[in-house]
Amino acid sequence: MTVSAQHKISLRWGRRRLHREEEAAPATHRWRVTPWLFLLPALVVIVVLVLLPFLNTLRLAFTDSTLLRSGEFTGWENFRRMFADERFGTALLNSTLYTVCVVPLMVALPLVLASLLAGTGRLMGLFRTTMYLPVIMSPVVVGLIWTNMLDKRGLVNELLATLKAVAEPVPFLTDRWLLLFSAMFVTVWMGLGYYMVIYLAALANIDPSLYDAAAMDGAGPVRTFLNVTVPGVRSTMGLIGVLSSVAAFRVFGEIYVLTNGTGGVGGGDITMTMLIQREGTGLQARTGYAGAISLVMFVILGGLLIAQLVLQRKQRTS
Amino acid sequence: MSRARTRRRGFSSGLVVRYLVLLLMAVLLAGPLLWQVSLSLKGAGDPLYTRPPELIPGHPTLGNFATVLERVPVPDYLLNSLIVAAMAVTGNVVGATCAGYALGKLRFRGRGVAAGICVAALLVPAETVLISQFLLVRAAGLANTLLGVVLPTIVAALNVLLMRNAFRNLPAEFEEAAIVDGANAWQRFIRVSVPQVKGVITVVAIFAFVGSWNDFLWPLIVLSDEDNYTLTIGLNRLHGTFYDDPRLIAAGTIIALIPIVTFFAILQRYFFRGLEAGGLKG
Amino acid sequence: MTTAGRRGRALIAGLALGSLLLSGCGGDTTPQAAGGSLSGTIKFQTWNLKNEKFTPYFNELIAAFEKENPGTKITWVDQPAEGYQDKLSADAAAGALPDVVDMGPEAAYTLAQAGVLLDVAKADPQAKGLYLDKAWQAMTFSGLGGGTYGYPWYLNTGPSFFNKALFEKCGLDPDKLPATYDELFDQAETMAKNCSDAYMIARMPAIENFGEYGVPLMDAAGKKFTYNDPKGVEFVERFKKLYASKGLTEEALNNLQTKEVEEFKAGRLAYLSGSSYTLNDLKETAPDIYKSLGIGPRISTAAPNMYIESLVVNATSENQPLAMAFAKYVTNAANQLAFAKKASVFPSSAGSMDDEYFTKDDGDPATKVRLESAAQVKKAIVWWPPAFSGSADAETLREQIAQALLGKKTVQQALDESVKYSNERLAQHG
Repeated sequence: MTVSAQHKISLRWGRRRLHREEEAAPATHRWRVTPWLFLLPALVVIVVLVLLPFLNTLRLAFTDSTLLRSGEFTGWENFRRMFADERFGTALLNSTLYTVCVVPLMVALPLVLASLLAGTGRLMGLFRTTMYLPVIMSPVVVGLIWTNMLDKRGLVNELLATLKAVAEPVPFLTDRWLLLFSAMFVTVWMGLGYYMVIYLAALANIDPSLYDAAAMDGAGPVRTFLNVTVPGVRSTMGLIGVLSSVAAFRVFGEIYVLTNGTGGVGGGDITMTMLIQREGTGLQARTGYAGAISLVMFVILGGLLIAQLVLQRKQRTS
Repeated sequence: MSRARTRRRGFSSGLVVRYLVLLLMAVLLAGPLLWQVSLSLKGAGDPLYTRPPELIPGHPTLGNFATVLERVPVPDYLLNSLIVAAMAVTGNVVGATCAGYALGKLRFRGRGVAAGICVAALLVPAETVLISQFLLVRAAGLANTLLGVVLPTIVAALNVLLMRNAFRNLPAEFEEAAIVDGANAWQRFIRVSVPQVKGVITVVAIFAFVGSWNDFLWPLIVLSDEDNYTLTIGLNRLHGTFYDDPRLIAAGTIIALIPIVTFFAILQRYFFRGLEAGGLKG
Repeated sequence: MTTAGRRGRALIAGLALGSLLLSGCGGDTTPQAAGGSLSGTIKFQTWNLKNEKFTPYFNELIAAFEKENPGTKITWVDQPAEGYQDKLSADAAAGALPDVVDMGPEAAYTLAQAGVLLDVAKADPQAKGLYLDKAWQAMTFSGLGGGTYGYPWYLNTGPSFFNKALFEKCGLDPDKLPATYDELFDQAETMAKNCSDAYMIARMPAIENFGEYGVPLMDAAGKKFTYNDPKGVEFVERFKKLYASKGLTEEALNNLQTKEVEEFKAGRLAYLSGSSYTLNDLKETAPDIYKSLGIGPRISTAAPNMYIESLVVNATSENQPLAMAFAKYVTNAANQLAFAKKASVFPSSAGSMDDEYFTKDDGDPATKVRLESAAQVKKAIVWWPPAFSGSADAETLREQIAQALLGKKTVQQALDESVKYSNERLAQHG
C-alpha cells in the first residue's frame, strides 16, 4: 500500500447535500432530539473530561506557568522558545518521518494478516489470540526483548554475522536513523494485532456472495484480496489510516523502551510526545511550555486529518 | 461458506502456504512471551544475564508465582481490576454504540460538530490533561474511587469512531424497511442495526478491557487507598525497595496477562457473529 | 532520570544484607518536638517501603509513637515504586499532599519553592543540632533564602566494584584499583588499548560526578549553575578522549544505571559504582563475577558523593505540631539507626555513625563493605544540587555531553547549552 492509496481512504463525514434533503423530509424532523439523546453519554464524557481539560492546557500555552505556579500571560513567548529549541525541530522531524513510514504499513499489513485469519475454526481462534499477544504485553517486557534482540551483541546481529552479511555489528540502538527504523519495526510488530482485530470485524461484514462471484470468475487469492476484500473494508482502512496517523505522530513507548527512556544518543530520537512528557510532567513541569508544544501538535494532526478529508472529497466529486 | 470454496481450489499449495505464514507470524509475535514465561519459571540458581539468553530454565520452579501471591493480595486487586474493566466495557459498549449509531445512521443538524468533537478528543495528548482530569475527578468527589478510575475513559472517542464507521457501512435497506414499518430510531437501533455490528462491538469491548486493565499512571494518581488498588498498581509492589528480581516481575506480568488473554480468547470468535446474526444475504 | 531512578541509583540492588536480626525499632524515649500535648490524626507517606521487609518496622514505630502520645493517630500510606513523581505532582497540584512525606531534596526544593513545605529550621530552631551538619545543609536551600525544608532521614553511598579478572586480562594491575578520576581515566585508556571487548566506564557523567571531580556546580546564592566552567570542560574532555580511543561504547552515551549493572554482571564492564546492596546482588545473580570482585572506595577527586532522603512537613497541614513531632520522631537518632541497619543505609542523625555497627569489623565481606562506606560517609558530600531536576535537567546534560562526544559540538558549547537550559528553568520556577 502506498501513500497515494491512503488518499482514497474515505472518511466520508459530510455528504451535506444528502442531509439537507433528508432533513427537509418530514420523517426526519422527529429525530432531532433523539440523536442527541444517543450522543449524550459519550459527548458529556468527552467534552467534560477530555476537551475541557485540554482547553485549559491551551490557555496555559500563552502563559509561563509551571505545575505549582500559575503563570502570567506571556503571549507568543512559549512559541518563540519552541522554535529556538533544537529539540523541537528534531522531534517534529522524527514524528513526521515516523508517520510517513508507519501509516501505510499499519493500514496494509494487518489487513493481510486479518484475511489470512478470517474463519471460524478452532485453530484460527488460537492463531488470532496469539497474534494479539504483543498488544497486551507489558511495555517493559517488550523493551527488554527487543533491546536484547537488536543490541550489538543481540540475536539479530549474531544472525547477520553468521550469515556473513555484515562485517561490523549493526548499531540498531545507537545510530539515530537505525534506531528510528527499529522503533518503527516494533510499532508495526505491536500494531499488527491491534489493527488486525478491527479488520477482522470489518471482514465479517463483507457480503459473502462477492467472494462466490470472484471464485466463479476464477480469481486467485491475490485478485480476490484486491477486488473483493480491499473495497469491502475501504472505509475501515480510512479509519485505521486516521488512527494510526495519530498514534504514529504521537509515538512514545517504542522509542522509550528501546533507549531506556533516553530518547536516543544525544536526544537524536526524541519525539513530540517525549518532548511534551519531559517538559510537562513531574514536579518541575513547565506546563505553559508543554501546553504550547501540545497545541502545535494538535494543530499539525488536525491539519493532517483535514487534508485527508479534502482529498477524499475531491476524489468523490471528480 | 463461500470462502471455503476459494480455499478448496488451491488446497494443496495455498493452504500450506497460508498456515506456514501464520505459523511464522505466530512465532514472531508470540515468541517473546515464551521468553517471559521462561524467565518467570527460572529458579534462584539460573543465570539471568547470559547471552544468548537461555530459554529452558535449568532449575524450573513455580516458586516465583507463589511468592507473588504471597506478597501481593492478588485476589483483592484482581477484583478491583475486574470492577473497573466491567465498568469500562459496559460504558464503552453502550456509550460508543449509541453515539456511533447517531453519527453513522441518523441525520441531524450538528452531526458534523459532534463528529468533530470526537475526532478532536482523539488528538488530545493525554500527558497534558492528566492533572486537570485529576482535579475534575477530585472536585466531583470521586478521588480514590474505582468510578473515578474509569470515568475519563468510560466512553472513549476512539470507540465512538469505530462504531460510527461500523454503522455507516451497513446497507441502508434494512433501516429503510424498518422506517417504512414505522419503527422509531430506538427500535431500529436495537432490532435492526446493533445485531449487525456485533463484531465491532466485540472489538470495542476488547479495547476497553485491555485499556483499563493495563493502565497504570491514571489509577495510581486517582487511588490513594491500597484497598482500592488495581492489579497493575498492586503488582508494582514486586519492585523491591532497593532491588528488583526480574523473575518475580515476570511472574507478576504473566499473572496479569492471564485474564486479558482469556477475555480475548473467549470474545474473538464473536468477530464473525455479526455476519451470521445480521443475515446480510437477505 | 526519575525519582525512582534516583533511589535506585542511591540504593542499588541487593537483597537484605546479612541477616540483621535487629531488636528495638523505635520505642526509645526521645525528646518531643513541640512540647505540650499532641493529638489528632496525620497522614504519613513513604515511598515503596510497605513490604514484608519494612512493614513491621513502620508498624512498630507508629505504635510506639502513638503509645507515647496518647490521642494521636498516624495513618501510614505507601506509594508503589513507579510513578512517584507523578503522584506527588498530582497531589501537590490538588493541594492534597499528606502531612509528612518521604522525598529527596530535589522534589523538596520544587515544593518548597511553591511554598508547600514547612521551613523546619524556622519552626523548630533546636532541631538543627540533632542531625549531621552536612545532612542538615543538604536540606537547607540557599536558592530559597536559606530555609531548611525537611528532616534528614538517611544517607547512602557505596564503594566501587571492580572486575579483577578483566583488569588482569587487559593489562592492568588488579592490586592497584583506581581511586580518583584521573586514575580511572588512565586505566580506562590502558584497558581500551589492550581489550576491544571490555570497558572501564559505561555511562555518561551525571551532575554528582562533576561535583566529585571538583567542578563548582552552582554559585553561592544558589541561583545559577556553573558547571560549564573550565574544570567542568576538563572533566568532559576526559570522556571525549576516552570515547575517541574507543574506551567508551556508543551504547554508553545512552546508558542508564540499570544497563551499567547488567554490563558489569555480564563481565564486559570492569568498574561499577554501587551501594552496600550491590555485593549481595552480584553474589546472587552473577556468581562468576563475584569470584573476582575487587572493592574500593567511591571514585572521587574532590570528595565522594552521597545521596540523602528526608521527611518533609506539609506547610498546609492542619495538624502541624503533630506532623513535626512525628517527622522528628522517625528521624531521631535511635530510629534512624534502626532503619539504617534494616535498610543497609546510613543514619543522618548526629552521632549515630559512631555506633559500633559502623565501626567494628567481623571479617565478613559484607561488613567490610559497610565499614568502608561508613567511613566514606564521613567524607562524602551530597553533591546533587537540589535545584537540578532529575528528569529534564539531568537528561539535557546527558544529551549535550553525548553530542559533544559525537563531535557535533565542542564540550564548551555542550555544557554552555546545558547550563543555559537549567538556568532558564530555574528562573522560571522562582
